Amino acid sequence: MNENNKQVILEAVNLTKKYDDGVLALDNLNFAIYENEIFAMLGGNGAGKTTTINIFLNLLEPTSGDAKVCGVSSHIEPLVVKKNLAYVSENVMLYPNFTALQNLDFFSQLGGQDSLTKDHYQEVLIRVGLAEQVHNNKLKGFSKGMRQKCGIAIAILKDTKAILFDEPTSGLDPKAGYEFIQLLNDLKGEGKAVLMSTHDIFRAKEAADTIAIMNDGKFLMKEKASTLFDKDLESLYMQYMAGHAPQPASEGV
Amino acid sequence: MLHTLIQKELKSITVSNKFLVTFMICSLLLIMSVLIGINEYKQAMTQYETVHQMADERIQQVSSWHSVSYREHRKPSPLMIFTSGLSYDIGRWSDINRESTVKLKNSIYSDDPIFAVFRIIDFTFIVQIIFSLLAILFTFNAVNGEKESGTLRLIFSNAVPRTKYILAKCIGTWLGLLIPILIPILLSVLIVMLFQIEFSSQEWIRLVLLIFISVLYTSIFIVFGVFMSTMSRSSNVSFLLSLVFWICFVLILPRGGVMASGNIVSVPRIAEVEGMKVSFAKNKWENYYKDMDKRLSGSEHNDDSEEDGISDDMMWANLKAEDSLRKEVTREIEGYEESLLEDWKNKQKAQQNLGFMLARFSPAATYQLAAMSLSNTDISLKSSYEQVMKDYREEFNSYIDKKSENAGPGAGSIMITMDSDKGMDLKMGRDEAIDVSDRPQFVHPKTQLSKILPDVIVNISILLFMIFGLLTGAYFSFMRFDLR
Ligand SMILES: Nc1ncnc2c1ncn2[C@@H]1O[C@H](COP(=O)(O)OP(=O)(O)OP(=O)(O)O)[C@@H](O)[C@H]1O
Ligand SMILES: [Mg+2]
Repeated sequence: MNENNKQVILEAVNLTKKYDDGVLALDNLNFAIYENEIFAMLGGNGAGKTTTINIFLNLLEPTSGDAKVCGVSSHIEPLVVKKNLAYVSENVMLYPNFTALQNLDFFSQLGGQDSLTKDHYQEVLIRVGLAEQVHNNKLKGFSKGMRQKCGIAIAILKDTKAILFDEPTSGLDPKAGYEFIQLLNDLKGEGKAVLMSTHDIFRAKEAADTIAIMNDGKFLMKEKASTLFDKDLESLYMQYMAGHAPQPASEGV
Repeated sequence: MLHTLIQKELKSITVSNKFLVTFMICSLLLIMSVLIGINEYKQAMTQYETVHQMADERIQQVSSWHSVSYREHRKPSPLMIFTSGLSYDIGRWSDINRESTVKLKNSIYSDDPIFAVFRIIDFTFIVQIIFSLLAILFTFNAVNGEKESGTLRLIFSNAVPRTKYILAKCIGTWLGLLIPILIPILLSVLIVMLFQIEFSSQEWIRLVLLIFISVLYTSIFIVFGVFMSTMSRSSNVSFLLSLVFWICFVLILPRGGVMASGNIVSVPRIAEVEGMKVSFAKNKWENYYKDMDKRLSGSEHNDDSEEDGISDDMMWANLKAEDSLRKEVTREIEGYEESLLEDWKNKQKAQQNLGFMLARFSPAATYQLAAMSLSNTDISLKSSYEQVMKDYREEFNSYIDKKSENAGPGAGSIMITMDSDKGMDLKMGRDEAIDVSDRPQFVHPKTQLSKILPDVIVNISILLFMIFGLLTGAYFSFMRFDLR
C-alpha cells in the first residue's frame, strides 16, 4: 500500500475484539499508519485504545480481523511482529531493585540490541530528559514521570520501525511533555511509525499527523492534522462525543 | 535471550532482601544443627566406647563359663550428624548370652525423653521443612508478581517466547536459591571436617548423595512455587495455594500414608502374638504331662513284674526318653514361635512397604526415606543390627559351649555331689578368671552402599519425576496465562 510512496508499517484490518463478558471493545476498526507518521488516537475512558495496542502486542487475540506490522499479522507471527515493535505503557513499571542503567540494559538485550554500551544508555536517558546523576539510582526511588522517561528510553533503544505509546504524556511535567513532543518529531524524522493513544487533545494536535477520535471501539473521526489546522479540535471532540458529528460526517472508519 | 532472562532473574534475586534473609536463616540453622549433631555424635561415640570397654572388663572378670554374658553395643554412624533418623529411637545395646534373646534396649529417647518431645533439629529436618518453605516463599509470586508489578507486559512486548521465559524463571530462581542454601551446606560440611569427625570414603559418597537429593528436594518446591504463580493472576491466591499444598504434601501425606496402610494391612500387636505363643506352649505342655502320666502309670505297672536290678536301667532309659520328648516339645514350641514371629514380621513388612509406598507420593517422605537410608539411620537399622547380633549370639554361645566342655565338668561351675556316706557336698569350680580373649569378635553390620543404591536410585527417580511433572505443569499453565 502506498501513500506518496511510503510503506505501511502499522495496519488494522477489520479489527474486532469482543471480550469474554460480551463487551465489544473494538468494532471493525480499520487504519493504516505509514513510516514517518504519528497517529494519535483520542478517546475517552473505555474507548478501546489500550485494547488496540494490546492486540498489536499479541497480549490479546482479536476476535476477528487482523493487526499487522510491516504486513505480518500479530497473532499469527507474534515473535516476528514484536521484533518490529517498541512499546511504552501508560504506567511504565520497571525492576525497582535495578538502576536505570541496569533496567535499560536488560530490556535492550531482550529487544535484541546486545551490542549497546553504557554510553549509549546514558545518551538516550539524557535525550529523554533524565539527569545523569540518577542514572545509577535504583528505580524504586523514581517518580512516575521518571519511570515514564525510562520507558521511553527503552523504546528508543529498541530502534524499531513502529512504536506504540499508550498515553505517554500522562505523568510528565509540562517541560517533559513539551520535550516529548520534540522527541516524537525526531523519531518521526528517523522514519518511524508511531501509534499513540492519548487524552491530551492539545498535544495530539501539536504532534500528530493523523488524529482519530475513538468511542466504543469505533473511529468517529479520522483526519489529517493538516486539515484540522484551523479548527478547534477540542470543540470538535466534544461534538463528536456528544453524538452529533459536524459537517462531512462519514469521513472516519 | 535465555541467558539474559536467567541473568536478570539471578540478579534481581541476589539484590533482594529475601536473598539475604534466606542466606542468614539457612546458615544459622545449618551451622547450629551440625554443631548439635557433632556434639550428639561425639557423646554417643564416647558412651559407646566406655560401655564397650566396661563390657570387656566385666567379661574378663567372670570366673565361670556358665555365667559368661556379654553386652554388645550399637556403634553410632557419623552421618547421624546430618540425619539423626531413628538413631535416637532405636535401643543401643543388647545382652548376648544363653538366657535372653537379642533385643536392642535403651534408646537415647528412652533415657532422655525430653528430646523425644520436640525431636532433634538436624540437617534433614531443616531441608525437609525450612528449605521447602523458603523455596515456596521465594517463588510463589514468580510469574504473577511480575504481572502485578507490571514488568511482564514490557518483557512480552519483546520477541520473548513463553517457553524461554518460564524456563528462565525456573532456572533463574533455582540458581538464586541454590546459592543461599548450598553455601551454608558446604559450610556445615566444612565444620564437620574441622571437628575431625571420621568419615569413611563410603560415608563421604553417602554425604554427597545426601546433599544431592537435598538439592533435588528443594528444587521440587522451587518449580512448584513457579507453577503456582502461573495458576492464578493474583499472588495472594498463589501464596495460599502453595501453602495449602505444602501442608498437604509435607505434613499430612507422609503420616496419612502410614496411617492408611495401618488400616489396610492389619498387623497383630506383639502382645497378641505373645499370647498365642503362650497358649500354644501351655497346651503342648499339658498334653505332654498328660501323656507322661499315662506312660508312667504304664511303666509302674511293668515295674511290679520286673526285678529291681533291671528297673534301674529301665529308669535311666525312661528318663532319657522323657528328656528327648521334652526337648521335642520345646522344639515344637520354638518352631511355632518362630513361624508366628515370621508371619508377624511379614505382615509388618507388608504394612511398612504399603505405608512407604503411599507416603512416597509426598516428596517430603521420599526425601526423608532416602536421607535416612543414606545416613544408615533408617528403619532397617534395628533389624539389621539385631540380625547380626543374633548370629553373633549363636557364635558366642557355641564358643562358650565348646570352652566349658573343654574345661571339663565342674570347671567354673558349682558341683553338687550326693553321697550316702558323706552326705551332700557343694564344690565350687576354679576361682580365677577364665580366659575369654579368643572369643569371637562382634562385627558391626555395614550396609554396603551398593545394597541401598537401588533404593536410592528409585527415590532420586521419584524426585526427578516430580520435578519434571511440575515443570510440565508450570509450562502448560503459563501457556494460557494472561500476560496483560
Ligand atoms: N479484560 C477485559 N475484560 C472485559 N472487558 C474489558 C477488558 N479489558 C477492557 N475491557 C473493556 O473494553 C473496553 C475498552 O477498554 P480499553 O482498556 O481498551 O479502553 P481505553 O481506551 O484504553 O480506556 P482508558 O483511556 O481508560 O485507558 C472497555 O469498555 C472495557 O471495559
Ligand atoms: Mg487505556
